[in-house]
Amino acid sequence: MANKLINFNHKGMTLIVKTITRLTVGLILLYGIYIVLHGHLSPGGGFAGGVIIALSFIHLMLAFGKEFALKKLDELKAGILESIGAIMFLGIALLGFLGGFFFFNFLNKGKAFEFFSAGIIPLCNIAICLKVGAGLFMIFLVLVTFNSLNQKK
Amino acid sequence: MIEYFLCFILFIIGLYAVLRKRNIIKIIIGLGIMEYAVNLFFILIGYHQYGRAPILAKEQVISNTVDPLPQALVLTAIVIGLAVTALLVAIAIRLYEKYATFDITKIRELKG
Repeated sequence: MANKLINFNHKGMTLIVKTITRLTVGLILLYGIYIVLHGHLSPGGGFAGGVIIALSFIHLMLAFGKEFALKKLDELKAGILESIGAIMFLGIALLGFLGGFFFFNFLNKGKAFEFFSAGIIPLCNIAICLKVGAGLFMIFLVLVTFNSLNQKK
Repeated sequence: MIEYFLCFILFIIGLYAVLRKRNIIKIIIGLGIMEYAVNLFFILIGYHQYGRAPILAKEQVISNTVDPLPQALVLTAIVIGLAVTALLVAIAIRLYEKYATFDITKIRELKG
């Protein structure tokens, strides 16, 4: 009976950890997205939200094993997302030359403390979130899979 | 005044770990402790008594906030500290791969 409940051959941690992870990992991802989107209104922003998003993927990897997390977000996709973040941030900064100078806030700023306000700052937050989230996930991935990468050579 | 002294003690603990321990992982942890002692010191310098967090909120008068400049500085320092720790751990993994030990007294052949 116990052997049926806890499958020792399976990759990852025990059944308890997997169940709790399945319940919480979506909420962690949503919380990270919330922090990013409200970065111009409340504490937090691109970096903090990006770290939380990366932690949700790391949580998946710790509980279910490497292959499961890599199916959701592999190295190639993470690298592409990271590059998109960097290019988006630079593009927003260069578009400021339309108004005159680097990082010029060329969009309509709107009223303070509303969700659609502050011009380019939410877009910059999203770019930073992509860069930090994918980058942190990649750092963790490389540090964990270092040995297996080396043995392939 | 006592809190600055406690920060200094925390810094000394980190320095002891860096200078005295032989395990590379413990040295990295010591560097982290030193870094956070300095961060804590900066935050404490900016503190006023009864000061609230320097966050602009709706329909709220700004009065008696703590100094926001050290907080912005420390936020940047935390990000840089994350990158430095990742780099140190990567170097430690490479050293372990080459010498099969974390003991720095046994890592002798530094050339090649």
